[in-house]
Amino acid sequence: MTAPMEVVLEPETDDLTDLDKVWKVVVWNDPINLMSYVTFVFQTVFGYSKAKATKLMMDVHEKGRAIVSSGNRTDAERDVKKLHAHGLWATLEADE
Amino acid sequence: MNPFRRKRLIRVLPDDRFEILFPEPITAMLAEYGRQLGQILDDDDPGLRRLFPSAYPDDPDLDAAYTILARSELADARRAEIAVLNDTVDAESVSRDELLSWMRVTNDLRLVLGTRLDVSEDDLEDEEGSPAHEVYHVLGLVLDEIVAALSSGLD
Repeated sequence: MTAPMEVVLEPETDDLTDLDKVWKVVVWNDPINLMSYVTFVFQTVFGYSKAKATKLMMDVHEKGRAIVSSGNRTDAERDVKKLHAHGLWATLEADE
Repeated sequence: MNPFRRKRLIRVLPDDRFEILFPEPITAMLAEYGRQLGQILDDDDPGLRRLFPSAYPDDPDLDAAYTILARSELADARRAEIAVLNDTVDAESVSRDELLSWMRVTNDLRLVLGTRLDVSEDDLEDEEGSPAHEVYHVLGLVLDEIVAALSSGLD
């Protein structure tokens, strides 16, 4: 009798670390989008209060960029796509 | 009545509906430019750069994977919103969802025009007179009105 074959599922290490990572959603300043519009998009896409949305918008405007949300790659990418659908300049960064 | 207060061009109605009071040439312009944008969405046009940004500027592999799916998804969503604008452009009032479509199309038009005009934050005031800058300016006023109407009651 042979021993049942032991199936070892080797996770692809890169993918696992990739999925475990926290990803940051960054919105960049641009000369076109209106401040009122950017604030409104933060309120409706993320459900942020007017105060929080305004603070993030001002960070984008004055510092050039702001981290507006974070999460696993799937969630962060979903947020970026929503921001792209609204014409905001958003990118993803792995939290090292 | 305060003569110094600018008249709002979208009136918030009960039941989350919005009465559009823009002059007809403005709504006609939105519909026409929206239609033109719909025709070039699949083109490799540098003016569309801002509608389809990179998600992973530092990682070409992840960025390519994102773009393959997102580009067509985002283009389809934009076509659907342009269709909503076209279908409701002569309506006396629109729903919140319909006005959100107007908002995103208007912003897209500003992004494409602003990209083509190579707008920077300081030079707008100096460029009055150019028809394209006039349109860009009007689109900004329209967008501001839409955002103000949709923001009422939001805090």
